[in-house]
Amino acid sequence: MSSEEKFVFESLQDCESIRAFLEALTEGVGSKHLVLSTGGERIELYPQGLLQVEVKARRKGGLSKVSLKLEWKDAPRVETTDRTLSVSSN
Amino acid sequence: MITFEGLSENFRFLVLEVSGQLRATHEFMRAPTRELFDRITGRDDYIDNLKTIIENKCFSRIHTDNSLDRREIHRIRAIHTIAVNLERIADFCVNILGQMAHLSDPGRLRPDEYDPIFAEIKASLNRIIPALEKEDLPGALAICRSEYELDRLYEAVFHRILAEMSDGRSVHDRITTIFIFRYLERIGDSLLNVGEALIFSVLGEKIKIKQFEALQKTLSTSGFGDSLSDIDFRSIWGTRSGCRIGRVERVRGARNSTGDAEGGGGPAQTGPDGKPVPAPGGLGSIYKQGNKKKIIKERDNIARWSTLFPNLVPEIFGYHEDDDSAALLVEFLQGCTLDEIVLTGDVEILQNAMFVLLQTLHEIWERTATPGPVPTDFMRQMRSRMEAVLQVHPGLRREGVDLCGTGALSTEQLIDRCEAIEKTLPAPFTVFIHGDFNVNNLVYDHARQAVRFIDLYRSRDCDYVQDISVFLVSNFRLPVFEPALRERIRWVMREFLVFANGVAAARGDATFQARLALALARSLYTSTRFELNHHFAKDMYLRSHYLMERIVAHRGTWESFRLPVEVLDCGGNAIMREDTPCALAS
Repeated sequence: MSSEEKFVFESLQDCESIRAFLEALTEGVGSKHLVLSTGGERIELYPQGLLQVEVKARRKGGLSKVSLKLEWKDAPRVETTDRTLSVSSN
Repeated sequence: MITFEGLSENFRFLVLEVSGQLRATHEFMRAPTRELFDRITGRDDYIDNLKTIIENKCFSRIHTDNSLDRREIHRIRAIHTIAVNLERIADFCVNILGQMAHLSDPGRLRPDEYDPIFAEIKASLNRIIPALEKEDLPGALAICRSEYELDRLYEAVFHRILAEMSDGRSVHDRITTIFIFRYLERIGDSLLNVGEALIFSVLGEKIKIKQFEALQKTLSTSGFGDSLSDIDFRSIWGTRSGCRIGRVERVRGARNSTGDAEGGGGPAQTGPDGKPVPAPGGLGSIYKQGNKKKIIKERDNIARWSTLFPNLVPEIFGYHEDDDSAALLVEFLQGCTLDEIVLTGDVEILQNAMFVLLQTLHEIWERTATPGPVPTDFMRQMRSRMEAVLQVHPGLRREGVDLCGTGALSTEQLIDRCEAIEKTLPAPFTVFIHGDFNVNNLVYDHARQAVRFIDLYRSRDCDYVQDISVFLVSNFRLPVFEPALRERIRWVMREFLVFANGVAAARGDATFQARLALALARSLYTSTRFELNHHFAKDMYLRSHYLMERIVAHRGTWESFRLPVEVLDCGGNAIMREDTPCALAS
């Protein structure tokens, strides 16, 4: 079983500065390649095929929240160095 | 004496038994016999049991009797500590016997050396019951001091034997002799614990004899009489800065050094002009004891403040120092700390307090302003406290982040970049600052319409932005989230910001907002070490990083930098966009 890879980054931004993050993410989705790294940890994601999108918005007690979740199944990695077809997932 | 069923009796027996063991050990050293040996070792089990009985009674009494008041609880705790130490003294007696068996010639033990030691111990044991019954502080102190005397006597014996050992003879016996005297010296250590427990029983405070002596000397230099039992020493308020702080008051009805009776909580005396005169003990005093450098600094700063602004700071009643610590007795100021006013005062009183505070500050800044430029060191302060922050919240730092090509700097990188920027932003002038301008270091006396400063060891000539940022963040971090109260805190921050920004504009301080951003980043981050609510601490940490990011991202002149006031969540954005000179300045 493959180990879990995770990336977490929390910060405080204003609307102007958060645009840069969102634009970078948008570009990553467009090019089907997202690279996220911090402190020696690195995670590369390849969105492809059909992506499940969940948008949630909420306002309660003076606190507002919008969350955008993209979820997809990674394509099985296809090894083609061999004439025999080999399929693995990680 | 407060009586506790059976406990007092058990305790008396224990003191008597241990005194008996000591007497018998003394006798054994003079003339060891098998019979005496058996008697002493046999009694040791009885003493152990007695101690256990007392221990059980003390704990069960504290746990089961809800009617006990604080004084009674202190007394039970003291009895327990004393019992443990008495039992240890009895053990040392048995240990001495054990060592005696290794001595080939008991005549090596010189009565002229051990007699005074036994006499000293005996005298201390005899003082325990009366000191406990009469709550007799001098008696307790005498027990404590016997340790010094026993140390001195032991040292003389030790050096004598050490010198004699150089002849290389009877080394075995001489080492054994040192061991025996060493046990007698250790009895002194236990007596010190007994004495300190008795002080605790009387004062209700854990106070070391050294601290107590410092208090005593400080009091005697400040007009208090000799009778320490007339002094109510209480309320250790905190040791955050490494100082012990307590309030000292005269017990109601006790007399001061001039023989006038005073009421502990009574009104202040008045002088010839009809104005209240602070008298030592009349209103009580604050006693601070701790690091010598800090206390000296505080004393000197108070003196400087008093010269500049009489009545702004507490009066010093007494000062005392020894090798490594110092003690200060200062006037206890009437009124409330400003945080109490912010959180609990009437709106009108809060408005008054803020008005008086801002007027006071304006006057101080006007009168003490000295032209610069002078460098600031907000980032250095942040870096130096980082370890302390991470000790409390290990997660409150971050590595650099790459997020699909865009990114965020690490905490260290942000501090480095900000520090480089800070070097280009010296303060245009200095003022005499409070140095720890926390909302709880300000006392507001509504009756006199006066704000006064306390805790002044960090006062110095510095950028006023230092005090401004500490004040703002000390309000921000008040752990109060109830909307109405939070709005009061916001109001205080807004008022203060309007005032500070106005002063900056009036003085033509063009880089004020940039320096304030750096100072706030530092205050928000370093404050997290006092906040155990992780969520709140993380919030302050994020705000601090946001500010540093904004500074690093700024393009253009520093005069055009605008503080993102939203980091203080006080709705003051509009304020900082206008450079309106302070109304007080005109």
